[in-house]
Amino acid sequence: MSQEDSHEWELSKENVQPLRQGRVMSRLQEALSQQDSSSHTAVQLKKQEFEAEIRFYCGDDPLDVWERYIKWTEQAFPGGGKDGNLAAVLERAVQALHGQQRYYKDPRYLNLWLKFGDCCNEPLDLYGYLHSQEIGTTLAPLYITWAEALEARGSFRKADLIFQEGLQRKAEPLDKLQAHHKQFQARVSRQTLLALEESPDGDNMGLLEIAEPQRSSLADLKGRGKKKVRAPISRVGDVVKVMNPNRSCQPQASLQLPNTPAFAVFDENSVSGPEIPTLTAQSWPAPPVPRAKENELSAGPWNSGRRPRSSVSSGLEVPHPLPSFTPYVDESAQPQMMTPCKIEPSINCVLSTRKPEEREDPLQRVQHQQQDAQAKKEMVMYCKEKVYAGVDEFSFEEIRAEIYRKKARKKDEDEIQAIEQKKEEIQRRIEELEKKLKKKEDDKQPQPHEQAAEVMGASTPLGMQGFTFPSAKEYGEKQPQSQSEFQICEDTQLYKPSCSENVGLLPPPAAVPFFSIFDESSALTNQNISCSADHSQKSARQPLSVRNPVDSLSAKESRAAAAACDEVNGIERLSEDAIVTGSYKNKTLCANPEDTCDFNRAAHLASTPFHGVVAQRFPAPAFSQSELEEDSPESKSAPLNQETPECEGAYTEALSVKKLSPIMEASLEDTHSSGASVSGGSLSSVTQTSDIKYLQISEKLELAQSLPAEVVTDSGGGNLTDDDVAQFLWSSEQRKKLLGSVLSSLAASPDFHLEAGALPHMEIEKDIELGNETYCIKMEYWNNEEYKMFFAIPTGCSFQWDVKGFAIKVYSQPVPWDFYITLELLKRLNSDFDQSFSENCNCYLYQDGCAIVHKDTNCFTLMDILRDRKFITKEILFLVVHDLLHVVEKLHKAEIVHGDLRPDVFFLGDRICDAFSNEEVPNALKVVDFTHSLDLRVLPQVSLPYNFPTAQTPHGQQLLAESSFPYQVDLVGIADIVHLMLFGDHIQVYQENSIWKISQSLSKTPDSDFWSKLFERILNADVSCSTELNTRQIRKRRLLTKYQSSQGLLRQGVLVASTEQLHCV
Amino acid sequence: MAAQQQLGREHQGITLRGSAELVAEFFSYGINSILYQRGIYPPETFTRVQKYGLTLLVTTDPELANYLNNVTEQMKEWLYKCTVQRLVVVISSIESSEVLERWQFDIECDKTAKDDNGPREKSQKAIQDEIRSVIRQITATVTFLPLLESACAFDLLIYTDKDLAVPEKWEESGPQFIANSEEVRLRSFTTTIHKVNTTVAYKKDSVP
Repeated sequence: MSQEDSHEWELSKENVQPLRQGRVMSRLQEALSQQDSSSHTAVQLKKQEFEAEIRFYCGDDPLDVWERYIKWTEQAFPGGGKDGNLAAVLERAVQALHGQQRYYKDPRYLNLWLKFGDCCNEPLDLYGYLHSQEIGTTLAPLYITWAEALEARGSFRKADLIFQEGLQRKAEPLDKLQAHHKQFQARVSRQTLLALEESPDGDNMGLLEIAEPQRSSLADLKGRGKKKVRAPISRVGDVVKVMNPNRSCQPQASLQLPNTPAFAVFDENSVSGPEIPTLTAQSWPAPPVPRAKENELSAGPWNSGRRPRSSVSSGLEVPHPLPSFTPYVDESAQPQMMTPCKIEPSINCVLSTRKPEEREDPLQRVQHQQQDAQAKKEMVMYCKEKVYAGVDEFSFEEIRAEIYRKKARKKDEDEIQAIEQKKEEIQRRIEELEKKLKKKEDDKQPQPHEQAAEVMGASTPLGMQGFTFPSAKEYGEKQPQSQSEFQICEDTQLYKPSCSENVGLLPPPAAVPFFSIFDESSALTNQNISCSADHSQKSARQPLSVRNPVDSLSAKESRAAAAACDEVNGIERLSEDAIVTGSYKNKTLCANPEDTCDFNRAAHLASTPFHGVVAQRFPAPAFSQSELEEDSPESKSAPLNQETPECEGAYTEALSVKKLSPIMEASLEDTHSSGASVSGGSLSSVTQTSDIKYLQISEKLELAQSLPAEVVTDSGGGNLTDDDVAQFLWSSEQRKKLLGSVLSSLAASPDFHLEAGALPHMEIEKDIELGNETYCIKMEYWNNEEYKMFFAIPTGCSFQWDVKGFAIKVYSQPVPWDFYITLELLKRLNSDFDQSFSENCNCYLYQDGCAIVHKDTNCFTLMDILRDRKFITKEILFLVVHDLLHVVEKLHKAEIVHGDLRPDVFFLGDRICDAFSNEEVPNALKVVDFTHSLDLRVLPQVSLPYNFPTAQTPHGQQLLAESSFPYQVDLVGIADIVHLMLFGDHIQVYQENSIWKISQSLSKTPDSDFWSKLFERILNADVSCSTELNTRQIRKRRLLTKYQSSQGLLRQGVLVASTEQLHCV
Repeated sequence: MAAQQQLGREHQGITLRGSAELVAEFFSYGINSILYQRGIYPPETFTRVQKYGLTLLVTTDPELANYLNNVTEQMKEWLYKCTVQRLVVVISSIESSEVLERWQFDIECDKTAKDDNGPREKSQKAIQDEIRSVIRQITATVTFLPLLESACAFDLLIYTDKDLAVPEKWEESGPQFIANSEEVRLRSFTTTIHKVNTTVAYKKDSVP
């Protein structure tokens, strides 16, 4: 019956200690119901929680934790006593907070002490101490409690003194103190009055007044006497202490019936002697002299005492006289009993009875503790304060686990917070877009015809927009991180070649001896997931983040190294000592090989083995990647941390013992962001490519084998669909109109040149003049009626494949759309605008067309790589995919949809092309062509995905059929490029359970897991629900980033190889 | 009372008048118990009485006894008329006049009993057993009630039907609730005509 259950408290009311502040019924019920079950797991857990909180509290109010802990203990262990161990908790709290001056006026702190006083045998000492230390001397409770304790002992005079002291000090709350004082005085006066009444009549008089004498409880009731058996009457009044003075009228003192003492008892209250006890502020630090020992001899030196006898008598051995009596032993007095226990023969030490005298009083223990602390000479070499902070003892493992959990929790919180922020941003953005949309719709009312196509489905895409944004953005935020990882990884990789075993395995350097190529990707693939999972927890640790500044070649390098050196100090020591020893560390004279920081420092100093490693950084031996893969197949499967010890000997072994792979430990903090900016103008333009062009690609790929340089030039643009589409989507008229509004701002740009006359005719191997410069056109990328994309070099220079030139995009209409988009990107991305875009472009606007010159552009496009799939190594693949995502993410961030992502739109960045580029150049791809790009910020309505060329492809039609989500267009474009790189043909998709999948089997591809996830994600971007997508995409991206980061080193070598191949042809 | 017992013995039933008397009696002892247990009056002003098979403490303070008698008589009348809904014992600090504890006895009257005069089937013993367990619980509340540190006074509030004329010596009052309170429901008993639910509310400790 539930009624019965809820009245459990009644059944065990004797086992519940009343509390001054009362109990919470629910807690009480809980505690009582759990008493029966042997395991109070919930209670234990909670207790553990408090214990942990005490140890790892990092706020500025440790008292708060203790207070909650104590209050909880009071409530959770209603019986008081040992199980709750309240006294121990209080003792610890008092010890832990000892000497914290800031709490001295805190009522909570005083309360703690007073509660502790209740556990002590001799609380008066404690009050004295509090008074002397000025703890809570401004608070009334101290005086009230103190006075009550004194009153209970009958020292009314002293109690009154305490009250006076409190009143004098104006202890708060004063009115409470005054009320208590008044009551106290009333009680005392009543007592005195009674004493006066009694004194003439003797004690018996008092007895008679008691109407109904009562026996004291638990008194001996055994009958005595011979003739008449009478139980001894040992009676008491109702209550010893009278609560309310006003109505009391009867005596209270415990009354022993027959024995009137024959001697006078000293009554301090009746004596009005000259020595009124005064409160002297005694300094407590000295423990009070133990009170009970009156007859203690003070120890003196033995030799100073004079011998009572001369040496004569000393010779005589005085025999001890045998006692002439037998000591009387009381029959009832039994020899002291051992605690009965079953002694196991294997255990030698017998349990002995507890010595009663030893610091029984918790107060004394605290005092001694503090004494000891002051006089302490020894140094604790482990984190004692953590192990013993609370009542329970924590093991190192528990402490370690707690530290770990804390970190994990923090990380989770950060992540959640980041996601929250992102969500907010998306929300904001959606609202913004909706607003825009509304505005646009209002504007559009008078001219419905022109934008009919754009209006369609205008409302839906807004919802979808929320989807990719977060992911894309998230990705962007991860970017710096991935860059830093590049660097770290390179550091580690650079060590590799010094490994003799590996060298031994490898054949002599092959044809392209510029770069060392070590295939780490395979090893990392295996660890990929664990890597990303562990990553952030360990991010603070970076065992291998140091570079030797001496060896750095460039200013940039030394900067990086300096930063790295700084980091050594910040690095959390991986050594166990860090966790276990607390603040005291073993100071050894030499570096401790167990310590990561020492290890790092040693790496700078030691001549071996580190020196050799560092020295070999730059003239690193080169091995072609494929060879390495063939020759050391085991490297594929062997996890990295197993390889490391081989390479770096004993020291690294120590590291790997701790299961910390240097790669996995790579930190985000090691960020040296790229500063260099080299970019060129390249006029690339995406023509009205549509399905047909895409279909041609595979053929062209084959053709490309023989005709490497001249590629995707003409798709002719002559097919019908193409033109239809072109009209459907982006008529130049439309764009012209749009640009008309912003032309003035375009013209304000210093890179904008308005030229009189007609656009010069352009042809290969002809010179043209644009502005003041003359260019020689060397190559045509593609060409249709409206747009042409050329590659040119300044006139007079000889054309070389690896020298940068100009990409020139020519419009047959005076609509510099690309220029507009580039400027917008620059404006919206600010610092995020990097080499992925054209940083240096000039626009020449003629009457009948315009030319946009992008300086510092490499002449190769992604198409050139695709042409020979042999060159698409895993490194290249990941690098490209990474940068693809990177670029698109930025575009989307700027609310621009590219709409026509094809391999030939992407110029290769310095990262790939420049054989001597360093890792500071992060961008592998550069996109300068924005023919079909859509500025959603200006035209939020123009968002029907099938307006874009990508949407005209077979897969695009399939994938985007239901979607009206403009950003997805670019995702489809990415998917196609990735597919092209993986399989050499265009993506083919089918739908299964409303999930889009690619027809190609990924199972044979390396990293099939990764790719299938990637495709699933990209292709189904519109299916999943937004938040889920968010997080999953974030993770996905992170995975990718992570993956990518390990690939850093190799791209250069491979790419050089590929470009050289092109040269030959 | 005696008549009631006789009646009970004969019929093993209970009438409206008997019920009103029993309940009023319960209030008298209940309030006395509370006043003793909570130390509102000095313990020496109480004397022991055997009732309900328990030893109960009843005040010897003539003034207080008179006051309580007065209330009990009034309650009896109202109970008989079935116009009373609730009796509340409010314990408040004398100094700050802050309400510290609130004992609430909710009375559910079966108004149909006014019309039919026949006794209800419930033995007096059964009723007294129920009352005993309520009184016991009142005694046991010390296990969780906060200590009343300052001197306290008590007040009696009686909730009646609206149309009732306020008798002499009575005045209207607010409910005197406790701001941040913890409430504990105690047992209830019923005479089949009157049902009394007991609840005690007390100040919650600031920090749980």
